[in-house]
Amino acid sequence: MIKYAFKRLLQSLLTLFIVVSFVFLLMRLLPIEGYFGDRFQKMSPGEVEAGLQKMGLLDPWYAQLGKFYAGLAKGDLGVSFIYRRDVAVTKIIAPRIPYSMGFGLTAVAIAMISGLAMGVGMAKNKGLFPDKLGTLYIVFVHAVPLAVYLLFVQLYGSSLLGLPILFDKHRPVSWILPGISMSLNGIAFYAMWMRRYMVDELNKDYIKLARAKGLPNGAIMVKHVMRNAYVPLAQYLPAAILATIGGSIYIESLYSIPGMGGLLVDVIQRQDNSMVQALVLIFSSVGIIGLFLGDLLMALFDPRIKLVKSEGAR
Amino acid sequence: MSLTWRAGGGIIFQFCTGGRTLPGYSLREVLKVKSRALLAAGLVAGLVLFSASAADKKSADYVGVYSGEISTLNYLVSGSTSDQEMAANMIDSLVEYDRFGILKPCLAASWKNSDDGLTWTFTLKPGIKWVDSKGKEVADVTAQDWVDAALYISTKANASQIADVLTSVIKGAQDFYDGKITDFAQVGVKAKDKLTLEYTLTARVPYFLSMLTYVSFLPVNGKFLADKGASFGTDNTAILYNGPYLMSVYEPQSSRELIKNAKYWDLANVLIPRLIYKYNKEAATLGPELFLRSEIGYAAIPSSILDTWMKDPAKKAQIHPAKTNTYTYFYALNFNPKFKPEFEPDNWKAAVNNLAFRKSLFSALDRKAALLTEEPYAPERRMQNTVTPRGFVSAAGKDYVDMGELAAIAKKDSFDKAAALKWKAQAMKELAGKVTFPVKILMPYNSGSTEWTNRAQVIEQQLEALLGKDYVDVLPQAFPPTGFLGATRRAGNYALQECNWGPDYADPQTYTDPFAKGSNYNWPELATGYGTKDKPVYEDLIQAAIAETKDMAKRYALFARAEAYLIGEAMIIPYKNGGGGWEASKLEPFAAPFAPFGMSELKFKGQTVLAKAPNAEEYAKLEAQWQKDRTAALAKVK
Repeated sequence: MIKYAFKRLLQSLLTLFIVVSFVFLLMRLLPIEGYFGDRFQKMSPGEVEAGLQKMGLLDPWYAQLGKFYAGLAKGDLGVSFIYRRDVAVTKIIAPRIPYSMGFGLTAVAIAMISGLAMGVGMAKNKGLFPDKLGTLYIVFVHAVPLAVYLLFVQLYGSSLLGLPILFDKHRPVSWILPGISMSLNGIAFYAMWMRRYMVDELNKDYIKLARAKGLPNGAIMVKHVMRNAYVPLAQYLPAAILATIGGSIYIESLYSIPGMGGLLVDVIQRQDNSMVQALVLIFSSVGIIGLFLGDLLMALFDPRIKLVKSEGAR
Repeated sequence: MSLTWRAGGGIIFQFCTGGRTLPGYSLREVLKVKSRALLAAGLVAGLVLFSASAADKKSADYVGVYSGEISTLNYLVSGSTSDQEMAANMIDSLVEYDRFGILKPCLAASWKNSDDGLTWTFTLKPGIKWVDSKGKEVADVTAQDWVDAALYISTKANASQIADVLTSVIKGAQDFYDGKITDFAQVGVKAKDKLTLEYTLTARVPYFLSMLTYVSFLPVNGKFLADKGASFGTDNTAILYNGPYLMSVYEPQSSRELIKNAKYWDLANVLIPRLIYKYNKEAATLGPELFLRSEIGYAAIPSSILDTWMKDPAKKAQIHPAKTNTYTYFYALNFNPKFKPEFEPDNWKAAVNNLAFRKSLFSALDRKAALLTEEPYAPERRMQNTVTPRGFVSAAGKDYVDMGELAAIAKKDSFDKAAALKWKAQAMKELAGKVTFPVKILMPYNSGSTEWTNRAQVIEQQLEALLGKDYVDVLPQAFPPTGFLGATRRAGNYALQECNWGPDYADPQTYTDPFAKGSNYNWPELATGYGTKDKPVYEDLIQAAIAETKDMAKRYALFARAEAYLIGEAMIIPYKNGGGGWEASKLEPFAAPFAPFGMSELKFKGQTVLAKAPNAEEYAKLEAQWQKDRTAALAKVK
């Protein structure tokens, strides 16, 4: 296992290096005017040159890349030049992560509890009304653009329940609607896959054998079907939890939550290179760690899964 | 504490403490508290009935929702309007515009200009203070503050985006910026004593006073600037204030709050106690709904929902047309085509150098039809027959656009079907054998704007329907917002394109910049038959106008002549002014400073928040009254 983890760590570092360097170089291909926004057409050549100089963009690309990694080695992610001029990137990002993770983890918890219960209920009532109702919900969530139904949740949810329309950190009730909104898609995801894996498991021979042996239905469902059905879903759990750092682009925008959602898109559009590099580094790391932990968790849930080749394996 | 009714949200309990209103709580939230707290709430609710006037007073706060976050509070470097809106309300300039657009003293008590027009001496008002974000006095405002600001802006390493405005007029500033001189004492900005500031210009600049209302000429406390170093302006505690408001709360991507500066020299004219800004990325979508729920005092009503609002009497009663501004939009005909061979640049070049061909496009473009894509109600108020908008400047009691040959152009809609067909016939005759018909007209648009996308389709259909597909083939091409201008206009990658320009100072010269030699709009100096490349006629006309710096009426008339020439020769097609649209706003109309450019119109000074948003009729009456008062005020100045 340690050997496996070490190998994965090296692979992860290499992947990170490739991703970050690639994005770093891609950002240097963007048009110059993007660094200055609407002001560009009023700027003199001298002003443009001074701006590029301050951002370090007049140096050769390899010098810029070297400077970036030298800073990174010292734990310095640089300062923002455009998004919040002259403010350290870490100072911009750090206060946002708790908001995104707070909402994200709440949403994951709601989605897992409700979604798994819903999936189990649907599988148990396959073809009956609860199953059809659940399927209708899943299809609705996946078919209707989220921008539409989330806006409805916000406008009508706030009117009917008397809840605030915008997030306000001083008002706990203002967390309710965004929390619910953020979990809607997750509920559908967990319900759909839980139902599917459970239905698959229910049709397997070992379940028929368990029934023939006279095991009670509840015990079959909990001890065998659910446990086996959950194994494929377990792989996604660490990634889902870590991905909460990234926040939700649309929901955070809709409710004015000062989280990470949409930050990467914003800084790419505004061509704030330091911010883009730092965020790509964070998000890539999160994705890679999430995958790794997912593999480990799956092995824990299912003893049949081995992460390393055992002696004599073919 | 106050009680308010929120649509759909029931009764809202709002608590105020120490002059600060805490967030409102719905009845449902309040009911969740235990019985003792409920009893207390009920008791206090009863008291509210006796405190209606206090609640009314709170309603005077301005609450708005915004989607564009400020990037810095360092007003010495930023060219962004969002950033400058903050500076406009927190830092005062030497002079300021009043609500009729008349310049009056602000931090300067008086000023004088030398006989040669090159030296301006300002005497500052005594006792003006710099305060911190908590309102605590830090230092006196002195003449040295303008010298320190000029030094910072003119230092190239600081990468100020507003340096050019200052270095282009102040003696020695450009040389200092370029590193040709290193001693700032040689630059034409000096503190003669604590309250006397002197600017020396490179040449006589008749509009210099108007430039002083721009961020490039704001002061800064040099000691504070040095102490803060690179962190100057990175948050609300990292700047000092001398203007009407202080920023008490600054939470990027969440909210910000400006409160009255109790030490402000003109406090009587600061009427809104607090300016509260709430961030929401979807502000354009949510704004109207938030306004209906009385959560904010201002919302732009986008054209996509305008119909719905117009058809609902309750909503219609809350909206009015938004003010237009001095941004100008025009269609440029490109004399330097650099587009792909498939769009036949040489063919376009031959066609665009023919006056009859240009006139046929000029007369055929139905600007009203194009404007309906964004201004479905009363598009006429946005249409503009000149590049310089009406009301921008006037001299000798005459508006600039009513001067000389420009007057006839300003009065007439360029769209004329009969004339378009007449010019088409003439162009086809004159260009026979020289140009291949239909002429391909590459017309790029920004795909990030739905309205522009729609407009491109409208123009294509409208031009081809009127002039015939045998004559022109209009080819709208979508380009992404990122690097749009670099890929299209600046690269010469267009035949006909919607362009815009905003003024930098209060003089018609500012509207000549896009067409002057060396610019990258449509290169009229390359048009054949209008002088030589080195001495184009339009350039000569501009230079003659620029040379006149004493007689403003004469100067404006000369600029009007140049503009009339450009439009008369159909090198561009004037289209519309900026701003406009519709808005739901409780801000008192026509009370804010009015100015043709700069930061003045971003100020809240002088305004109040009304109990109800004026409807279109009420707004029209207020506008008529303001126009009348303005005319009288301008007459008094003369």
